[in-house]
Parts: sequence; C-alpha cells; structure tokens
Amino acid sequence: MVAFGLIVFNGCKNKENQNARRGLIIFQESQISWVRNFNPLSPAGAARWPTSAGIYEPLFIYNSMSGEYVPWLALDYKWDKGNKVLEMLIRDGVKWSDGEPFSAEDVAFTFNVKRKHRALDTRDSWGYLKEVIAMSDTIVKFEFKRIYVPGFDALATQSIVAKHIWNKIDDPVKYSNPNPVGTGPYTEIIRFDSQLWELGKNPNYWQKGKPHINKLIFPTYPSNEQVTLALLSGNLDWAGAFIPAVDRVFVSKDTEHHKYWFPLTGHTTFLHTNTQDPILSDVRVRKAISYAIDRELVVKVGMYNYTEPAHVSGVSGPMSKWHSPYLNQREDWTVYDPVKANMLLNDAGFNKDETGLRHTQDGHLLEFDIIIVSGWSDWIRSAQVVSQNLKNVGIKAKVKTYDFGAWISRMQKGEFELAIGWAEKGTTPYALYRGMMSSEYLQPIGETADVNWHRFSVASADSLFREYERTSDQNEITEIIYKLQHLFIEHAPSVPLFAEPSWAECNTKYFKNFPSAENPYATLSPNYAPENLFVLVNVQNR
Amino acid sequence: MNQSLNYLLRRLGFYFIAAWAALTLNFFIPRLMPGDPAAIIFARFRGKLKPEAINALRETFGLTDEPLLGQYWSYLKSILQGDLGISIAYFPEPVTNIISSALLWTIFLAGFSLIISFSLGTLLGTIIAWKRSGKLDSTLPPVLAFVGAFPYFWLAMVALYIFGFELSWFPLGHAYGDDVTPGFNMPFILSALYHAALPALTMILVSLGGWMLSMRNIMITTLGTDYISFAHAKGLSSRLIMLRYAARNAILPNFTGFGMALGFVLSGALLTEIIFSYPGQGYLLLQAVRAQDFPLMQGLFMTITFAVLAANWMVDIAVLFFDPRTRK
Repeated sequence: MVAFGLIVFNGCKNKENQNARRGLIIFQESQISWVRNFNPLSPAGAARWPTSAGIYEPLFIYNSMSGEYVPWLALDYKWDKGNKVLEMLIRDGVKWSDGEPFSAEDVAFTFNVKRKHRALDTRDSWGYLKEVIAMSDTIVKFEFKRIYVPGFDALATQSIVAKHIWNKIDDPVKYSNPNPVGTGPYTEIIRFDSQLWELGKNPNYWQKGKPHINKLIFPTYPSNEQVTLALLSGNLDWAGAFIPAVDRVFVSKDTEHHKYWFPLTGHTTFLHTNTQDPILSDVRVRKAISYAIDRELVVKVGMYNYTEPAHVSGVSGPMSKWHSPYLNQREDWTVYDPVKANMLLNDAGFNKDETGLRHTQDGHLLEFDIIIVSGWSDWIRSAQVVSQNLKNVGIKAKVKTYDFGAWISRMQKGEFELAIGWAEKGTTPYALYRGMMSSEYLQPIGETADVNWHRFSVASADSLFREYERTSDQNEITEIIYKLQHLFIEHAPSVPLFAEPSWAECNTKYFKNFPSAENPYATLSPNYAPENLFVLVNVQNR
Repeated sequence: MNQSLNYLLRRLGFYFIAAWAALTLNFFIPRLMPGDPAAIIFARFRGKLKPEAINALRETFGLTDEPLLGQYWSYLKSILQGDLGISIAYFPEPVTNIISSALLWTIFLAGFSLIISFSLGTLLGTIIAWKRSGKLDSTLPPVLAFVGAFPYFWLAMVALYIFGFELSWFPLGHAYGDDVTPGFNMPFILSALYHAALPALTMILVSLGGWMLSMRNIMITTLGTDYISFAHAKGLSSRLIMLRYAARNAILPNFTGFGMALGFVLSGALLTEIIFSYPGQGYLLLQAVRAQDFPLMQGLFMTITFAVLAANWMVDIAVLFFDPRTRK
C-alpha cells in the first residue's frame, strides 16, 4: 500500500514537470533505446540525429525550399581548369567546440580520411577525385581525375571533422565518437541514457548569439502512434511524423499552438512500370495506364489530400523552376483521360471481351500485379484506386502486399509488373532522370539494381548525362535538363503518381520561429539533414 | 536418488542437442529471408542516398560473399567465445551490449507480470474450485475469460488511451521518467515501478484467466479422487486438504505451463513493448528483423532459445521435487 501511494505520488510529481520546458523536445528517429554514436562519417543511419545537422556542419547547405545552396563553413566556390579543379573559400574565424581554430586543413583532412577508408566514402567521391589539398588556411582545392560537376553535391554537403581529434582515431569506421567536438550550434552531450539524451549549446559557436535555445532533448519513441500521442499531449515540440487527418487529430486539440506544414519536396512517388515485361515494354501501354489514373482521386483517398497529382515531368513544387518552357507542345499523359487510354490500348492490339476486360493477341487476360509494402496504408489505398481506374479501361490489376524486405528485393531484382515506389532525389532533376533513363545502373532481371528498378535506358539520354556531368554553366545545365525532360515525356519510362510531401509538426507553445508556409526559410521536416541546421539556429524561446 | 540424477543428465543431453539444432536454424533461417541488409538500409532512405553508397555500406558492415558453410563455422566459433558480433541496425554497438540492457527490462516487466499472474491465477483457481458454485466461481471465470478474449493489442491501446492519455494516471510510455538518473536510487526505482504498472496490469489481466481456469479444472478432478475423500474422513482441516493435498497435485500441469511461459518471457512481450514504448527484447527483435540485422537477430534468438531450455530444465527439477513418481 505504501509502495502504491509512493507510485501515485511520483505520478503527480511527473505531471507537474510537463508544464515547464527545459529544452526543445524533438522526435526524428524511431528508437526504443539510444545507442551513443556521433560519428558523422559513419554510414547512413548509424549516428544520432543531428550529428550531421547540428553537431557537425557541411561547407554548403542545400535549401530544398528555395532550391539554392547557402554558404556555411565555406563562403564561395569556383570551377577552374575546364571543370577539373574546384576551389572553395573557407570561412574564417570558425572555432571547434573545444576552442581550437577551424581551417581548410580540417576540410582537406576529412576528405582524405574518406579516401583511406573507402567504407566511409558513401558518395563514392574518390571515384572522380584525384586530390584534396588545403592551399592555405582558407582555400581548399579539389582536383578531379575525371570531370564530374554533380560531384559538387557530395563535396559541399560533407560534414567536416576536426583534424586534431580524428588523426588519433585508428578505425574511424567503427568509431562511435561518444564525445563529439564539432563546429555546429549544439555540441555538448549533457546526458545520455538509453531512453533520453540531451544536447547542449556549443560555447564557441561562430554565429554570435546563436543558437537561442539552451538544449535539445531527445526521448525515445518506437512508433508513429507514440509520437502522435506525445504531440497531442504537448510533450513534443518538433517532429517529422505522418499523421492521418492531421487537422482533426492534431491541430484541433490546440489550434493556437499545434502547427503542421507538409510542403511538397519537388520529388514524386511513382507507379513503376517494369519495362522488361513484354506488355509494359510498349510505351503506348505505359501511357494508357497513366491516362487511366484519376490522380485527383488517388490523392484524396490515398493521401488525405496532403499532396497534389504528379506533373508529367516527374518534378513539382520547389523543383517546378526546372519545368521546360516547351511543355505545352508535349503530350501531357498525367491528365485523367480514360478515352485516350482506351484508344491507346486498342491501338496496341489489346481488345475488350464482352465483360469489358482486355486480352492479348494470343488470348491471355491483360492483367498485372501492383506490389506494395504491407502496412504502408497510404500507398495501399492509392494502389486500390489505381486498380479500380485500370479496371475501367479493361486492365485487371491486383494489389499485392509484401513485407518490406521481400518488397525491396523484388523491386531491386525487377521481379514485379507494377509497383508504387519512390525514385532518386537530388538537388536538380538530373538524379531523377539518371535513375529513370540511364544505362549506368541498368541490370538484367534477377540481378540487384539499386536504382532503375523499372529497367529502362535510352542511348540519347546517356549522352545527355555525360554532357551534364561535364558542364558547370547554368544555361547549359538548364538546357540539358529540358532535353532530358522531353525524353522522359516521350518515353514514359515509369508513371509519376503524386507529388511527394514531407511530414513535419511543431508545437509553438514554448518556442517560435519554426519554418512555415508563411515563413519558408527551410523545410520544417527534421528528416532533412543538414538543412535542419537552418531551423536549429533560428528557433527561439517564446 | 541415483535414478533422479540419471534422469536429469539424460534430459541435459537432450537439451544440448536441442540447443545445437536451434543455433543452426538460427543461423540459416535469417539468411533465407529475401533481401540483404545493405540493400535494405539503402532503401530505407527512399532515394535520398545515392546508388554509389551501396558498396561502402557492404564494406562497413563486413557483408561477405563467403560460402554459407564457412560463415556457419565462424559463427559457431564466435558464439563459443561469447562474441555475438556487431549490430547492423545499431552500428557499431556490439550485440551483447544491446541485448543485455533490453534483457533486464524485459525480465523486470514480463517476468514479474508472469509471476504475479501465475501465482494469483493459481491461487484463485484453487479457491474457486474448493468453493465450487460459490459467488466467486460463478463470476470470476466468465469475466476473466471475457477480458482474455479481447485482442491484446486492442486492450492495451484502450488502457493506454484511457488511463495514460485521457486520465493521465499513468505515463504514456518508457521504462522510467525523464527526470531520474538510472542507478540504484529511490526515485529511479519508484519511477521504474510506476512506468511498469500499466503495461504489467494489462498483461496480468489477459493472462490471469488462463492460469485460473486450468488450475480450477484440474483441481476439481483432483478433489473427486479417493485420497481426498480419505483425507476428509481422517478429519484433516479443509485448509490443509485444499493446499497440501489437492493443490500440490493439481498444480503440476500448471507448473509445466509456467516453465514454458517463463522461457518465453525473454522473447519479450512484443505487443506490450511496442504499445508502451518499453525498451525490452520484443521490440528489439522487431527492429532486428525489419533491418535484417543478422547478428542482432541471432543474438536474440539465442538468448530466447537458451532461456526456454533453461526454464524447461528447471521445471524438470521442480517436478522431480513436487512429484515423487518421476523419481522412479
């Protein structure tokens, strides 16, 4: 009885604590217990967020909302010697959190660690780099062994580590860096328990007066349901979670403080069409499928109207600036037009029987499976709408769900007919089109292809990619993207379904100046490192 | 006594073979799953990671193309040395570290819930069987069977929503409060108890009925036997007959069940841990399977296997103690 009393008393005490805020409480990673790892060079997903978006910083940060690079640890860059040399001007006066000065030496050192330990070179930068040298305290020279201008993305966004710390580390691949020394706004690990950890300010941060908030707090939440509950009860200030019917579920609980912003990322979710399939290899069939889909309905039923139907170019939102001005002379096969779909299918020789279903010339039913990850309810609902749409034009499409591992393995091996999936993302549409139409990553059916799951390539695109990779001239880059776009629209290698939003919620009860539709200085979603640095240095106490 | 020892040794030999078989399956089954860990980690980034990354990932995690048999030998060797490898999902943390912290929480939550549920259920079963058709006998079994019939997932969610979210009587998750420091101190212990209360209650609530009903049924059969009538005839007190004569025999099947359940405690109360964000083994297992984290999966399955075998062996010993017939 005494124990029970104490437990209840403890409970009451607990409730009082919720009313005061000791720091900004963030959810970014689904975890049940924290593992202390702050190695910014470690492969994807191993280090705690915000290792590369708060503790360590890159040279430039790509702002996905404005579509521009913002100078950060570097001030400027220039291409030289016919794009074989890239020089960066490094910011002066930056200090590491232990007080040591930061210089171009640290930048060159970081890249040379990656050269020595290829496991850390997750962007394969040394596939095109020849040398990285610090010319002075403020100038770094990247020399290329083959011209590869898009390599700038990887170089610019690399988290820079301190030479005077890391030159003593024997195996940086397995190093968990428990007490990080960084240049970022938050560097001090105040507390690290399996269930909660806290990150405090960098005493020597180079942006004077920033950051504004004393510390960041990271509790563990294993699932989306737990995150949603924590958001509703006001125990979480910033999160990047998908919440169904967010206005009713989240905002209505506290309309003044509960905010969300699901901006379009510019990228697209696709209905992938396996072009090695004898029927789907016909571009008329792929376009017919696209015409048959009522994307307004897909977005409404599948995606709670959080997004918009896909653009025929495969890019939208902040990426719309890349839309070719000649689009009005091109076919727009992402509009809903069942008449046209029927016409194309008739043309291709698939005739309807008395029940309204189509058959191939040799009498087989025209049918496909759409494969989805089981439990991804938004995609499953979307696929069901697509299936219904396709039935209306005489194509039988069954929705089949697989466990994530099985699904991704089928996608990579090309063992599917239709599937909902994502496509490559980059700072320009080059990454998307390369994944869509380049022979570079093309694999035969049964072999693992990490991108280009729909297995399509066209020679004229390949030569455009080579051209793109060799030029740093903005006008040329734009022209090439337009040409790639026209090729994409001509061949319809895969079918864009809807624009991809990013998920982000915040509670403005204790903090202000989060990005929003009215103040879009960065994306709100914490799932975008290093872009989240913009948020971390701008959010303030109320 | 010699025979007993012989029996125990024979059982031990059997367990040894079972352990080897389990370890072998443990190695091969995860590898039959489609996909490979590096590809899955790559895919989780949904196109944000560039395809150039995949080789670097494979190299980091030491994923080799060595033939399976060779991998199997090095697996057996390192297990004998107590080395379970490095986790992929929690890279570069050794598997033993990850499991040991989760293990403690699981034993604490699921172990205590099981013991409470078993003791309480068995005791209630004994009492209601003794006082058949009494008030308790006509209310408890249907009520508990009714509660037990709910899908546990749903029941736990409802409990969390009502008592955790709406009424705020209990925390919404985690094993201890954010304001205490883990260690041997009073605030931490109280906080851990407070956080375990609601998940434990839901687990006890759904499992209580099973223990109670099975005890009641066997008890009723036992109460009808001649030696109980004889004990009554001797004029022994009801309490003595109920507990020392009837219950001692009736508890044997329940006890075997308890042993089995004890072993499965380590597999974690998967649903409980997910719903209440409890940092135990069950949730860890789910994570490991999702990420195709072979080393972690193997480590977890191994602890579960050994726990089940050890619990069975202990039941063997206990039954030997309770039931002299097995000693012959």
